[in-house]
Amino acid sequence: MSEDSRGISRARQIYLNRSKRARELKAEGKKIIGYPCVYVPIEMLTALGLMPYRTCGDIREPVTEADRALPGSFCPIMRNCLDCALKNKNDFLDGMVTIHSSDPQEKTARVWQSYTDHPYFHFIDMPVTTRPEAVQYFTSQLNDFKKTLEEFSGQALTEDRLASAINSHNRQRGLVRQLHELTKPSPPLISGTELVQVVKALMSLPVAEGNDLLIEIIGEAKNRTDGPEKKATRLITWGSTLDSIEIMQLFEANANVVMDESCGGIRAYRAEVESPGDPLQGLANYYLKEITCARTFRQAKPGEARKDYARDLQTRFGYLEGIVREWRADGAIMLLVRYCDPFAFEMPSLKDYFDSIGVPSTYIEYDYTIGALAPLRTRVEAFVETIS
Amino acid sequence: MHFAGVDIGSTMTKVVLIDETDNLLSAIKGPTGPEHRQLANRVMAQALEQASLKIDDVDFIVATGYGRVNVPFADRQLTELSCHARGVFSLFPDARTVIDIGGQDAKCMKIDNGRLIDFVMNDKCAAGTGRFLEVTAAALGIRLEDMGEISMRATTQVQISSLCTVFAQQEVAALLSRGEAMENIIAGIHNALAIRIGALAQRLRIEPRVVVTGGGAKNTGMVQAMKNKLDCDVSVPEEPLITGALGAAVLAREVYSKTAGEHGKPSTGPRRLEQATFFSEERP
Repeated sequence: MSEDSRGISRARQIYLNRSKRARELKAEGKKIIGYPCVYVPIEMLTALGLMPYRTCGDIREPVTEADRALPGSFCPIMRNCLDCALKNKNDFLDGMVTIHSSDPQEKTARVWQSYTDHPYFHFIDMPVTTRPEAVQYFTSQLNDFKKTLEEFSGQALTEDRLASAINSHNRQRGLVRQLHELTKPSPPLISGTELVQVVKALMSLPVAEGNDLLIEIIGEAKNRTDGPEKKATRLITWGSTLDSIEIMQLFEANANVVMDESCGGIRAYRAEVESPGDPLQGLANYYLKEITCARTFRQAKPGEARKDYARDLQTRFGYLEGIVREWRADGAIMLLVRYCDPFAFEMPSLKDYFDSIGVPSTYIEYDYTIGALAPLRTRVEAFVETIS
Repeated sequence: MHFAGVDIGSTMTKVVLIDETDNLLSAIKGPTGPEHRQLANRVMAQALEQASLKIDDVDFIVATGYGRVNVPFADRQLTELSCHARGVFSLFPDARTVIDIGGQDAKCMKIDNGRLIDFVMNDKCAAGTGRFLEVTAAALGIRLEDMGEISMRATTQVQISSLCTVFAQQEVAALLSRGEAMENIIAGIHNALAIRIGALAQRLRIEPRVVVTGGGAKNTGMVQAMKNKLDCDVSVPEEPLITGALGAAVLAREVYSKTAGEHGKPSTGPRRLEQATFFSEERP
């Protein structure tokens, strides 16, 4: 391995063996807390010296154990995620925090609680709108979360500690955005596949270590000569979670993917937590309003009854136009995970939005297994052929 | 000059050879299926033989279809969607919509001057594909190729409620034991399939002329059911199985001429007339 390909290669190693660092830290006495969704305010864990570890599914793992707890026609990612837990792959976790970001998350929470025996468990109730009352309610839920965390860790979650954790995580968000600046050139300096590995690595490391990794990768990518090959087409992807390189490689066989707007990509890093006053309220505001997941109901003006489809589309998807223009994307792939209703319902409107800004788009549905990728490959290639 | 299109579908391999003015030199089809995929190269050899050509006499070869990726004798791969679009355009210059009923997928394409502009495909389930017809023909104990003719004798259409290939088989068995006439059951099957494929096609705005291709287009009862469902006339090429291979051959000529015009004769690399492998085999 050459000196200048260290960070990217290290991210790949972490991606391939995600729990290694958590297990090492666990052996040193650190407490590791799992979370399955980027809506969990992990700053609160970091502030108490607990390490947040995003529990993911494994696309190569056939679901066998989860069948005794969950129905088959159910979010394949949560099924797979729980399956890994039931196969003791998360045996190093000291606790689990789940959140009502979608119904499968909520239903799985209960199963999680009864089928696993982590010493700590907390479920955060999360409202679905961005109304001021919702932010207030969410703040109160974070306050409850704070209490159980304090009890579990035996420490007080002070405003200073929280502010410092928020700073570190904001720094991570800034660095991830800096990293994505490097996909603006053609060819990009870092591939979509590498970005999937980097983001998943970040979700497997303590925040400070993640930030060091990012600094290393940014420095390395800027000067690399072994970057991605230039393809005739530049794409962005949008969806719930794209956390497996197999899917990204499918897209990148025919195009350069310059941005992934999913919670395996830029989504958890696009904005920053602002907390001039109460940090919990700052967190509530950020998580409810700034993470652009289909699970949250967004309106131009909360509670308004006036119908205006174009303005509605602008409110829900307007941020994508900037991404498409700045990253000079030729098209967009909407990636749907089967049975993911929130994203499936969003898709026709998003298609209309992409049409309205003149961006060709297509949708690809998969069931979070690698078994049936060949037909998806044909769809992606045909889409690229229509726009190139 | 000579150009070839090789369409390796899930069930059949089709090869078309043309000259520089798109004259058809040969068109051959043979089985591909998982157990016969090694025949893809034999189909190519037969096509060459029919045209009295050797593999090195062919200036450019485009492979398409499910098995397009690892074809050791092709110079370029393009999806079957672009190839069907181009092939149908050669036969029907006013075609705007193509519906291909293949062995394991059904797809609908919108085309503009032979260029693919939009498409939809069925998901990985077999409902709405040629497999649905194969399975029900087997359940009825008749040959696939006789289904169309038998269905034309139907006096009424039996309602088939399940579009699932597995459950439809059971439903067919139940209908037979209830004494329903074979022709009415088959007409019902064609109708069920047409509803499924029609719904898929209607996600794109259907514009005439509509051309139906693929193995499904060889079934007259199926084509009639599509006409009824779409409520418009549909055209069927004389040989509906080869439009993908034909399109691939025409695109081979176009890619060749374009590249030759811009950068000189495209390099084609060594070609081996050996068996093709499928996607799944390159995966660990």
